[in-house]
Amino acid sequence: MPELLEVHDVVAGYGNGPAILDGTSIKVRGGQIQCIIGPNGAGKSTLLKTICGNLPIRSGEVLLGGERIVGLQPHEILRKGICFVPQERALFPRMSVRENLRMGGYILDDRAELERRIDDVLERFPILRERAHQLASTMSGGQQQMLTMARTMIVRPKIVMLDEPSLGLAPKIVDQVYDIIKLLRDEGITILLIEQNALMGLKNADWGVVLDLGKTLFEGPAKEILADERIQELYLGRRSKAA
Amino acid sequence: MTNAIQVLILGVMLGGVYALMASGLTLIFGVMRIVNLAHPIMIIWGAFVAYWLFKLYGIDPLVSMPIAAAFMFLVGIVLYKLVYAKEAASAKYSEMTVLLTFAVALVMDGAVSTAFSNTQRVTSPPYATDAFIFGPIFIPTAQLYAGIVSIILVGGLFAFLQFTRTGYAIRATTQNRTAAQLLGVNVAFISLLTFAIGSALAGASGALVSFVFSFFPAKHWEWIAVLMSLVVLGGMGKLVGTIVGAFVLSIIAAFVGTYAGATWSTITFFLALFLILLIRPQGLFGDPIEGT
Repeated sequence: MPELLEVHDVVAGYGNGPAILDGTSIKVRGGQIQCIIGPNGAGKSTLLKTICGNLPIRSGEVLLGGERIVGLQPHEILRKGICFVPQERALFPRMSVRENLRMGGYILDDRAELERRIDDVLERFPILRERAHQLASTMSGGQQQMLTMARTMIVRPKIVMLDEPSLGLAPKIVDQVYDIIKLLRDEGITILLIEQNALMGLKNADWGVVLDLGKTLFEGPAKEILADERIQELYLGRRSKAA
Repeated sequence: MTNAIQVLILGVMLGGVYALMASGLTLIFGVMRIVNLAHPIMIIWGAFVAYWLFKLYGIDPLVSMPIAAAFMFLVGIVLYKLVYAKEAASAKYSEMTVLLTFAVALVMDGAVSTAFSNTQRVTSPPYATDAFIFGPIFIPTAQLYAGIVSIILVGGLFAFLQFTRTGYAIRATTQNRTAAQLLGVNVAFISLLTFAIGSALAGASGALVSFVFSFFPAKHWEWIAVLMSLVVLGGMGKLVGTIVGAFVLSIIAAFVGTYAGATWSTITFFLALFLILLIRPQGLFGDPIEGT
């Protein structure tokens, strides 16, 4: 039985440059929040861009539910159920909340169904419903991130990939963002996220993966990784007591 | 007072025509960051289509307007594929397109100058010399028709962008290209389509301009300055801003032309461009410029 998403020996990089991912493999289990941690330049963002088809793959395999998705266009991969949220500014600043949600369902052909789903999402996020006609750029950072998360629900994806969802947000707001991420998981959406702030990511995740130099070094339940002394020393910025 | 009302009406009609002329320019800049210096020569091409269809077959320019628009739509597709698509990945795309569009403008100018010579022309449908007279107010029919048709077209463009799925995709691509792509918008196709629509708008406005102003190939150098002033005033790439800018400046220019003399009316646009760059470089509706 294959896992929901499997990445096998993927090689990828930008333009004609060196391979950022050089034989990276990762498995994503369904129904969980899975967090990838690792230092700057470890290839975390590159991995997500490769999976969603934004960056061409040089070699290797990406399987969604056992089905090969390598070589598909980004919008085809989105239709298959993988939704990618980039690091910053994922919204359309001069569109209203409702228009942003409508863009979230751009690939849906049934317009009436789209409006129904938008109403469903607005039902769930009263703050957004109150601001349905407000321009996205006039909302606070936390509300914008809420809208970004809510927008992914419109296409009812299998997997949502988040690139540093907490970046630039106040700690209190970050907690709210993670509450929404957990809400998505409880809806049955699998979350694959990367965090520079590894501690933050792992605290909120079910499963953790340590990626460095394009290789998976270690993976396991997030709690175990948090407790592992080697990982703490190397990636969580805590000195081990023995040193 | 009645004189002022008449000047105001003329200003509004002229504003409509300028709004249509500039709408394609601002649309193309908004979506693709192409500063299309060849936009006014595209208008001249549209004007020539209407002129010759009238001259040879007696087709009214208001009727041939869709033909001029369709013709320039196709020219737009060819130009985009030939000149701009290849450079789209370049980091210096905007800067490069200034030179590219300048070159395209020279070539397109040279083509029509050679074919039809640089003489003044005007399409003269029967209503070209008529006027509507409401009591003391006197409005040239040609300007009234051109103004009304322009306002309808700009309104149609606005509705298209605001309410259709493709319109959403164009606006989304303007505001955040990466996000639009991630949500399934084919941004390469949207870029091509927008360039073609912008070119078609140039063609349509050309047909109207052909009976409102007299035109000749080299006239586009004068228009680019006027149109750029509208686009900059509105905030680069902001359609609403450009339209507001077109009406405001045209009305001011109409008053300046009436009370200070026609020679002074064009300077309104340049003075506005100068002042806006000095005082509010991002334009009336623009976002603050990064790094300032």
